[in-house]
Parts: sequence; C-alpha cells; structure tokens
Amino acid sequence: MKTAPIAIGLLAGSGLFASALRSEVEVPKHHAGLNAHETHASATLLGQFRTSVSSWLWLRTDLYLHNGVEMRQLTEAERKRGIAGVGNGEHGQDALHDDSSIVTVVPSKERDFRGVFGDIERATKAYMRMEGHSHNDPKSALPLFRLMTWIDPQFIPGWTTGATVLGRERSDAALDMGIELLKEGLEHNPNSPSILSELGRFYASKKRDFAKALPYLRRAADLPVRADQLDEVEADGLLSAYRWLCLSYRELGRSGDMYRAAQRGLGLFPDDPLLLRCAADTPYIFTEKGQREWIEQSISESEDHEHHGHDHDHGHEHHDHDHDHDHDHGHKH
Amino acid sequence: MKLRVWWALARGVLLESLRRKDLWVVAILGMIIMAASGALGFFGVEGLQTFAKDLGVTVLGLFSTVIAILTTSRLLPDEIKNRTLYPLLARPISRFDLLAGKLMGAILATWLAFVILLALTSVALLMFGVRFEVIMVQYALLKMVGLGVLCAVTLTLSAFMTPSAAATLSFVVAFGSSMIVRGLTMAYETSSPAMQWFFKFINSILPQFGLFDIGPRVANENWAPVPLWVVGGLLAYGVAYAGGMLLLAWSKFRSQAV
Repeated sequence: MKTAPIAIGLLAGSGLFASALRSEVEVPKHHAGLNAHETHASATLLGQFRTSVSSWLWLRTDLYLHNGVEMRQLTEAERKRGIAGVGNGEHGQDALHDDSSIVTVVPSKERDFRGVFGDIERATKAYMRMEGHSHNDPKSALPLFRLMTWIDPQFIPGWTTGATVLGRERSDAALDMGIELLKEGLEHNPNSPSILSELGRFYASKKRDFAKALPYLRRAADLPVRADQLDEVEADGLLSAYRWLCLSYRELGRSGDMYRAAQRGLGLFPDDPLLLRCAADTPYIFTEKGQREWIEQSISESEDHEHHGHDHDHGHEHHDHDHDHDHDHGHKH
Repeated sequence: MKLRVWWALARGVLLESLRRKDLWVVAILGMIIMAASGALGFFGVEGLQTFAKDLGVTVLGLFSTVIAILTTSRLLPDEIKNRTLYPLLARPISRFDLLAGKLMGAILATWLAFVILLALTSVALLMFGVRFEVIMVQYALLKMVGLGVLCAVTLTLSAFMTPSAAATLSFVVAFGSSMIVRGLTMAYETSSPAMQWFFKFINSILPQFGLFDIGPRVANENWAPVPLWVVGGLLAYGVAYAGGMLLLAWSKFRSQAV
C-alpha cells in the first residue's frame, strides 16, 4: 500500500478543515484607515508589506517635521502627575497639529535619572528642548507623500494630507497641483469619501468655486455606505463632505438643496451640530457675509475638535498634519 | 600584553572570514542598498535627501549589526566543534590571549564589512546629491566603536551558550537595549525608591548601544557635530565595557573543559 498518496490526502484534508475553522479562531480585524488595504486585490500578495512601508513613511513625515527629534505621547501616569506636554509656538492656521500632550522620547535633564549616560544621549541623539517649538516646513515631507502614494495607492491619508500640504501655499499653481494629486488618488480610490470630500473642499474653500465643488461632494454623499461601516478616517471624510455640501448649496443660494443635504447627512450623523443647524436654518437664505462666516467657522471648529481628539496616535488615523487648520478664513476658537 | 599573538589570531579570524566568503554576504547586502537607492532614483523624486540619508544610516546600522553578530557568535563554538582549538592551545598562548585575539579578529572583520557597506552607502547618497558633513565622520567612528562593543557582548554570550542562542540573545540586546532604557526612564519617576535603585542597576549593566548611533543627527538638517568630550567618553566607555565583557568570557572559558 502506497503511503505517500494517503499522507498527501491527509495533509490536504486537514488543511481544508483548518481553513474552515479560520473564521472561528481569528479575531475580526478593523483598523482605522486600513480597510482599503485589506480589501483591495493587491493586498493579497503585497498589501501587508505595502501597508507597513506606507505606515513607516507616514511616521517619518512626523519625525522630519520635528527635525529628527522623536516625540511620544504622555503616559496615563504622567498625565495624572500633572506633567505637561511641550506644546508648540504655532497658533491659528499656522499650527500643524496639537502638541499639548507630547514630550520628547529622550527625556530632558531634569527628568532623567541616568546622569552622564543621559547627558551623552542628549548630545548624540537629535535632541533639543521642544517647549514652544516650531515645525519644519511640511513641504520638505512632500516627496514622502508622493512616495507613499506610489508604493501604496490605497493609502488614503497619503493623498489627502499631501494635497493639503500643497494647498498651504495659496498660489493657483500649488492649488492646481493639490487638485491633480487628489484626482490621481481618486482614480485609485473611486469610492473614497475622504478624497472626494477633499476635492470638494479644495474647490469650495480654497478656490471659492462652489459649482465645481458640488459634483465631488454629491458623489461622496451618494456613495452607498453607512457611517458605521467606514473606518474613522473615511467616516470623517463623509461627514466633512456633507458639511461642505451644505455650505456650497448655501453659497449658491440653493437653500432647498441645502436642507435636503443636511437631512440626509443627519441620517448618517444625527448628532452633528453643524448639520442640525443647517437643517434648522432653512429656509432662511443667507445673504450677509457674517452669516456665511459663521458656518465656515463652525466647520473649522467641528473638524478641529474632532482631529485634535486623535492627534499623535501614530497610526493611520493620525492623518492630518495641517489638514484641519488650513482654512482660508482662519477662524479659530 | 601579547599584541603580536593577538594580531596573529586576529589575522587568522580575518582570513577565515574571507575564506568562508563572508564578504559575499556583505556584497549581497551592498547590492540591496544600491538596488534600493536605484529604485528611489527610478521614482525621480526631488528633495529626498533627508529621507535617503535616514534610510542609509538605518540600513547601514541594521546590516552591520547582523554581520557583527553572525561573524562573532560562531568563532569560539566552531573552534571547539572542529577541534581546531587543541593545536591552538598547544602553542604558548593563554586562553585569555585566545579570546582577545578572536575578539580583535571579529572586530576587524566587522569593521571591514562596515567600511565596504559605508562606501556603497556613500556612493548611493552621492547619487542623491547629499553633501559631505563632518558629523558623518563622527557617525562612522562611533558606529565602529559600538560594533566593537557588540562583538565583545556576542563573544561573551557564545562562551556561555550555543552559537544560535548567543546570536539570538545578541540580536535582542542589540535592538532591544535602547527600548529597555527608554522604558526604564519612563517608569522611573512613578516607581518606588527600591525599584528606582533596581532601574539604575539595570541601566548601568546594559550595553548602551543606542549612544553610539548618531544616525538621527546625520539624517536631519543643521545638527552640529557631537562635542569631542562625548566622543572621547564613548570611546572610553566602549573600551571599558568590551574589556569587562572579555574578562567575563575569560572567567567562564578559563575553567571550561574543552
């Protein structure tokens, strides 16, 4: 009796049986900002590697913004002891992100028990006191955004943040480059609410061309998705799309459409104060500049609040170096 | 000190390394560096100098660490396994001389590999338009001292355990010591006084490999060279720590039945 075929059959049978058990033993994975990676066809072979590379590049951009000085979040114990983060010296629309709860990885002299070893580390590592620090020009990180989107076109924050960094320079050429980058991202990710929302925001906020913003924002709103099916990044993008859609309709004097968009948005985000306000304000038609500023300021405040809540998570959900501070009118709370 | 004896033994290690074609590993790793830089060049991205430098020092640190550990971890066990230790010990050399010579050879072989990789990395960086800076010389010098300490740690571990275990533990120490030190500094303030003393003890005996790596200063812009007292201090620390490790290895090896 030949044993080899039996052995192979046994191996194959046990393999099939084990495959059937996979769904029972593996914990369902849900990473913010990573769903596209896991479901895209390319993820089957190189997806995880590409995701790792793009994540690594993403973290490098943060490091380069601090000129190589490694930063970390305060621990829970440190917060309880009242230790404050370093903060930064940038305010308003110039602020890149919230640094109020981060400190340098290499501890300062007064918080270091290592004596001469600590002194040597501060002399050999990229270390400086970072209280009230400023950041390097994020444009220096632009090549990395380009690189991470080439390596991993499904890495949404690479497209959106790269475009936003381009958009910080308010020249028409820079804005057009940002829009081109987002359109390229849209080709790779046609169903990404974040990219569609960013495109709409570029046209509405930076170019003040609300008619051109509408198709992208409507397309985001028409995506057959539920907010709870999206990861954190894309859910934020969808919410932003509804907000800018309402603003664009309002600017174009289409209060009825604004009302309907706000109602649809509230179906997905029932607690959003801005959409509630838009739905409640209708059919009031805005004509005064002050009223328009109110709604734009509300968008800024809402998005600022949300993103500061999860800045410096050092994961994909930490996706906006300057994304939400970069509004043309500069209203800050 | 029997420097001539040590040199003869070190030369043997170096020749053995060449005969075993260890440098092929270096060549393959070098080709990976060049291929990676070529791939970056293929993307044609302007302004990648910082990233290229960062990648260069990271890869250089990684590859040279691998070579140092793999070269050193098998030196002593191979001598015992191949029974080439007996003719060596039949000569008028002590076991300490043997260890010192082996360590010197391992360090030289590692440095040779490091210099080759450094040259290839430099070529790759030149292709990206990276300018030469004084701090790069300091980087190479301190890295070589750090690799010497790593060789000493690995050789000592190989005197106490099998080559595989010594290599594994050396990798853990090489890549994990900075992380452990970081954890100690973060936990220190919230710990009890007794635990704080324990942390100080652990910190003092751990090899501080991280101090020899000034890669982050090299990679990013406008960092001044490291003060000379720091370079001197690290050199002294490296020699003292490697000497301590050598003594530890000797304490085990001198009474070991072979």
